[in-house]
Amino acid sequence: MSESTLHAITGMIGEVLGDEMVDEPITMETSFADDLEIESIELVQLAELVEARWGEKVDFNAWIAGQSIDDVISLTVGDLVTFVDSCL
Amino acid sequence: MPLIDGPAGALHVVDVGPGGPGTPLVMLHGLLLGNVASWYFTAAPTLARSRPVRLYDLRGHGRSARPASGYDPDTMADDLDAVVADLPGPIDLVGHSYGARVALAWAARNPGRVRRIVLVEIPGRTGANAEISAFFEAGPEAMVAALPEGLRAAVANGRRQARRLLTNLAGLATQTTLLADLGSGGDVPDAVVSACTHPVLVVVGASSACADDGRALASRLADARVEVLPGGHYLHLDATAALTETIGAFLDG
Repeated sequence: MSESTLHAITGMIGEVLGDEMVDEPITMETSFADDLEIESIELVQLAELVEARWGEKVDFNAWIAGQSIDDVISLTVGDLVTFVDSCL
Repeated sequence: MPLIDGPAGALHVVDVGPGGPGTPLVMLHGLLLGNVASWYFTAAPTLARSRPVRLYDLRGHGRSARPASGYDPDTMADDLDAVVADLPGPIDLVGHSYGARVALAWAARNPGRVRRIVLVEIPGRTGANAEISAFFEAGPEAMVAALPEGLRAAVANGRRQARRLLTNLAGLATQTTLLADLGSGGDVPDAVVSACTHPVLVVVGASSACADDGRALASRLADARVEVLPGGHYLHLDATAALTETIGAFLDG
């Protein structure tokens, strides 16, 4: 995994959650649903930030197509980092 | 895509990639529990492989502004003017629940700008009221039972998602005219029905309270047919794959 990708995504999560950002450090094992308690619309916002940062190289929509909303929200930060790295 | 200026405040618009050469599609979510995520995590990614797909948060929902009034379908359709302003040529519309009412109201005012329409679980003479009042007048347990599965778990566990959802619902219920607008609204007006001569697909859930409303509306429209899928009102969650395929086949057929 890429430390810089994890760092960038951690920043995006902070931007999405604002003053509700968790105190614990974000790691590859951090779960969107259980640890961050993120809303589905906040995941959309995160996807928008991912696309703004890496552009069309990272096809987030193709990645989530075919996964249920519960599948997507039960992902970990590591799943997202690994996916982004695989596109770069 | 960012926030754009709407007639009653900011509107959150999301373009879903990768897009394609097909007719641009705008998808509208339902009230209260809905927002751009409703389609973003269900039908939109698959449909976006072959056409540009645009989603937006209805006023008072998601990241769009929450004006104090204007929650009837006709006024909410004003927002759609701003959302589609930069889309060329005719577009296709897909709406869930009250979003379907908004889509139909807009199509009636802009018949030449619309190619095809899909109305998923559209409420009619009683559906909107029945759904909303049943939700708000029910006891807490019934309210929770009415939620889609993922949210139900969040509420049961007292999670942050549930707190935010309830905060938003309380804001809509106490700081806007949404409930009053729903209460004073009736069935789809005849003027809207007669202006919508486009090919229309009405999709209803076999076990939904809105199913008869959808069938009744389809019988009034000039060129509509009904498709029944297994599931309840939240068909995009109950029958994601079947609904996605049904919408795609109708739009591409």
